[in-house]
Amino acid sequence: MAQELTSAGKPFSHLHSAHCESGVTAALFRDKGINISEAMAFGIGSGIFFGHLPFIKWVGLPITTYRSRPGTLFSKVAKRLGGEFITKKYHRFWWSGDITKQGMDDLRRLLREGNIVGLTTNIYWLSYFPDRFRFQFNGHNIIVLREIENGFRVADPVLDHPVDCLAEDLERARFARGPLEPKGYMYYAKSVRPDPDFRSACITAMKDSCNMMLRTPFPYVGLRGIRYLAKVTIKSPDILEAHEARRRLANIVRMQEEVGTGGAGFRFMYAAFLQETADLFGSSELADLSREMTAIGDIWREFAVVSARIIKQRGQTEETFAKAGGLMLICAGREEQLFRDLDKVARNLKS
Amino acid sequence: MKVNEVPQDITYYEGEKRACYALNDEGKYVVVKSTGWEAEDIANGLAVTELAAHLEETRKAVLEGKKSPLCYHMERRQMNADILGKSAGIAVFRVKRHFRPENFSKLKASVLERYAQALAVSLVELKTVPPSSQGR
Repeated sequence: MAQELTSAGKPFSHLHSAHCESGVTAALFRDKGINISEAMAFGIGSGIFFGHLPFIKWVGLPITTYRSRPGTLFSKVAKRLGGEFITKKYHRFWWSGDITKQGMDDLRRLLREGNIVGLTTNIYWLSYFPDRFRFQFNGHNIIVLREIENGFRVADPVLDHPVDCLAEDLERARFARGPLEPKGYMYYAKSVRPDPDFRSACITAMKDSCNMMLRTPFPYVGLRGIRYLAKVTIKSPDILEAHEARRRLANIVRMQEEVGTGGAGFRFMYAAFLQETADLFGSSELADLSREMTAIGDIWREFAVVSARIIKQRGQTEETFAKAGGLMLICAGREEQLFRDLDKVARNLKS
Repeated sequence: MKVNEVPQDITYYEGEKRACYALNDEGKYVVVKSTGWEAEDIANGLAVTELAAHLEETRKAVLEGKKSPLCYHMERRQMNADILGKSAGIAVFRVKRHFRPENFSKLKASVLERYAQALAVSLVELKTVPPSSQGR
């Protein structure tokens, strides 16, 4: 844990997080004196999800996501734990003037007033990242601690230490154009409830997650999404070229492991959340569900290993797309059982 | 995943580490730092090498006079015509026209200035491509 000072002179303890949005949300609450872990923020924000959207292409590949839409996690946690959060977006109208300058001036003013500010940015323009992880993605969240000479001190939850960021980089990152534009989105806590009701927040969040996974009207999201993707993966070597099929599989694994998920596409992080709630409620059923979630996460990891072998074309005889898809189907079946059980348990919990 | 199973395969994060959730000996979840996982490296490596190969192809096409340097710089920034058009404030159909060298060479300084600003390169860089392949 690295010690850092905010612009208000308060010590800020930087926690290394797996996921940017839950990490930022937890940090905003901790700065106001609420002790909350990243996994707890992730669970209360109902971050766990699954979606495979074949009709939205990103760098020519269909989008696969293991978490809810960027932005919803923060607003759900803010709503469920209570508190006054101020958010601001800059829209481009012909009368708006220079929004880039306005955005940066507002940020500096807020920092001077002693806030720590969360920002949504484009990850490509944040030059402190290793080159390998810089790609045009407009949903990365960071926290700005204070202004320094020609730049800002930034606590990026994905890195294990705070870093310096040039003002010019941050300006580009905040006002990048393209799909899901951040539009200089920034948010900070004005006040938070001193005694948030964790128990009822957890119950609401668990029910919400179960709804999103089990009861969706679309075949591309939730458990139906996993089954759909499994079917597509099994069929992909027959309908696509070998190289294209491998590219698609690689993209699924990337989304599961590479983009800051804490392992197994957020499944381990959710298991950590279930473990915390088990302690909170003193419920052995939740502890069992946490263990089951860990087991499911291990299968997702196995899927990644099998896929990696297919991508590298090692052991062509035993590892097939059918095996990778089969593992996904096993995950779907076990997750369905888990969320049905969780739904029942959450309904019987008393807040 | 147990703490001792957290992969520490390769160090390709340039010294950075990322957080993984794993169970410790008492069965409690803790955050463990990981330096990288082979499976992840393979999946990511495919995407990275593909991008690099594509960029190199474009660079050669520019040197042969088939495409304009604008196309190379756009791909180096991992953009497409849509993102570049929005960033520079130029209509997409015009951006696509400017990928042709004969159209690009006729551009006014003010338009080039906007492209250079959007791509964060200097005007001189924008009109040329590096003579040999390089990392992004």
